[in-house]
Amino acid sequence: MKLLEMNHIRKEFDGLEVIRDISFSVEKGEVLSIIGPSGSGKSTLLRCATMLEKIDAGEILYMGERAAYVGEDGRRVYPKGEEAKKIRSYFGLVFQNFNLFPHYSVMKNITDAPIKIQKRGKAEVYEEARELLAKMGLSDKENAYPCQLSGGQCQRVAIARALALNPKILFFDEPTSALDPELTGEVLKVIRSLAELKITMVIVTHEMSFARDISDRVIFMDKGVVALEGKPDEVFGADHARIREFLGKFNQ
Amino acid sequence: MKKRMVCLAAAVAMTVSMVFGTAAMADERTTFTVGFDAEYPPYGYMDDDGEYTGFDLELAQAVADYYGWELVKTPIAWDSKDMELESGAIDCIWSGFTINGREDDYAWSLPYVNNSQVIVVADESGITDLAGLEGKIVAAQAASAALELLSEGGDQADLGATFGSIQEFPDYNTAFTELQAGSVDAVAMDIGVAKAQIKDKEGFTILDEMLNAEQYGIGFALDNEELRDQVNEALLYLTDDGTVSELAEKYELADMVCLADSADEAMTEADTELTPAETEA
Amino acid sequence: MSFSVMLEQLSSGMLKSLGIFVLTLVFSLPLGLLVSFGRMSKNRLLQGVTKIYISIMRGTPLMLQLLVVYFGPYYLFGMRIGGVYRFLAIIIGFSINYAAYFAEIYRSGIESMPVGQYEAATVLGYSKAQCFVRIIFPQVVKRILPSVTNEVITLVKDTSLSFSLAYAEMFTIAKQIAAAQTTFMPFVIAGVFYYVFNLVVAVAMEKIEKKLSYYDA
Repeated sequence: MKLLEMNHIRKEFDGLEVIRDISFSVEKGEVLSIIGPSGSGKSTLLRCATMLEKIDAGEILYMGERAAYVGEDGRRVYPKGEEAKKIRSYFGLVFQNFNLFPHYSVMKNITDAPIKIQKRGKAEVYEEARELLAKMGLSDKENAYPCQLSGGQCQRVAIARALALNPKILFFDEPTSALDPELTGEVLKVIRSLAELKITMVIVTHEMSFARDISDRVIFMDKGVVALEGKPDEVFGADHARIREFLGKFNQ
Repeated sequence: MKKRMVCLAAAVAMTVSMVFGTAAMADERTTFTVGFDAEYPPYGYMDDDGEYTGFDLELAQAVADYYGWELVKTPIAWDSKDMELESGAIDCIWSGFTINGREDDYAWSLPYVNNSQVIVVADESGITDLAGLEGKIVAAQAASAALELLSEGGDQADLGATFGSIQEFPDYNTAFTELQAGSVDAVAMDIGVAKAQIKDKEGFTILDEMLNAEQYGIGFALDNEELRDQVNEALLYLTDDGTVSELAEKYELADMVCLADSADEAMTEADTELTPAETEA
Repeated sequence: MSFSVMLEQLSSGMLKSLGIFVLTLVFSLPLGLLVSFGRMSKNRLLQGVTKIYISIMRGTPLMLQLLVVYFGPYYLFGMRIGGVYRFLAIIIGFSINYAAYFAEIYRSGIESMPVGQYEAATVLGYSKAQCFVRIIFPQVVKRILPSVTNEVITLVKDTSLSFSLAYAEMFTIAKQIAAAQTTFMPFVIAGVFYYVFNLVVAVAMEKIEKKLSYYDA
């Protein structure tokens, strides 16, 4: 089953076309990595998928339902109110720089939305949050505040916060780019464990070996289009000038 | 949000209408609101118990009692006295209020005090007459009769022009403090207030040469002669029954209060009006 | 006048100053927030109106505003004023003036919030209102507290401007006693009162700041 479909997406900023006619879909249980040079539009694509940016053409479908689209007359149609809330509940997003709520403790960061937005029972949510924290190796931090944590710990809390809402699909926007090199490992380990649990994920990343390792499929984006798409070995082994150049820079 | 704004606006409108509505309903007079300068002893000031009192306020109380009104003593900022009166916030200005020079601006009661504007100096200044004020700094209360007298268009404008400068002060106390501190050379003020000010102090003199002679009255809005007449009637009664002279003694104003004279004049006028009919008869 | 009566009178004036202070804060703090919303609104008209409002409130003396609020209803609409309206006018005058200052403080705080906080809340499903109330505003409060403290301390001293409407708050009473007693004493006492009042305010604000210091923004 296709959890997400993005068809003929176009996005421009002040006349500059950042994404040109991109289409792709994500199957249930699949891990999709999006790689590519800076400025190729990877993050923008993710922000379009999570409706933080509005598309200029195309359509976005979640669970087979049309969530947002641009009509023939160029009018954007985005969901409102309860409809928007429902569609947002399908996905979670982990930001590059965490965006934890600094005034909330770790526990409250994770439980506030499930309790206040999803109106779930407090006891149940707390129990689940503790399980998540244990999975993240942060059981001793539930009363800490984000400012007391390292970057890697913050990012793991952010992942737990996204998971607490039980999304069907989880997006990662360069989840380790803001971290010191020695801290990326702990975050990648957590994402890897999620992959093992068959959680559907779309990951924008610069960690090439990691992407090759855990992905079911890889998209290589360049200059706003999908340049290559396929199984990790196919993409990383492809005899394609742009990706060879790109990977070459990485291996230096 | 919009709904809430509307509710808020409605609440404000209701409150406003309540506040103004009740004020406007007072058709039959039950209160008598007197505006006064609470920094103007002995006419209006705060007494030792923290109550507003003074010659003017006690007399106003007697008038209110005469009619069974409730007296509302409203201290006002002297600069705003006309706005307070015009807007109806007060019924009259009763506060050692000089008639001279303002004859046409208010509906005046009978004059009740013969006042004069005088100059107070420090003994050590060596100033003994008005000519000695040439080039000196003279203080006066803002919007006061003394200031008007000395400023352009006033009866003593020529004298005022000889001063070094005229300093305006919000109240006499500040002016007097400046005089004590030596930062002004003289203060132009009402004789009654001057006497009260120097009563407990040494080293100050009221110059014998007075700036003018003038009279105090109670100022009403020009369109409120009805109330003015009522107050006049009460004042005449209170003069007859001795209340006025009693109060004058109490506030050491006996030589200045002139209601008895005013009363005589009023009587004479009334007599004259009657005369023609009598002669014909 | 005995010293104790003087103290008693000034204390009663102090209560009135305190009344102006508390009521002004009660009305101007929420009103300021509304005004800041208008100031940041995408609606050009609303934005323009609040901009002019703030400009006038900050660009003219508070004393003048008090006079306009008090005498305005008579001169504009011919309403009879007086009585309880004197006090109301003071509260209205102070509230709309301080709301303008608070609006700009709120705005500076709200605009300083990183966009990531909004985005995180949006993705987590918070509505705009929930996001503001639960995520943004609590952090804004911490950020603007020092500026708010400044304004609040100024307000304590500004209450004395009510003397221009002859409302018997502490400063007006101090002036009246000083006039009747020809002494400087009441001003000294009033000064001490204002200072202590502000000391209490400063300590209270410091407490709140400390309470909010459990996290770094």
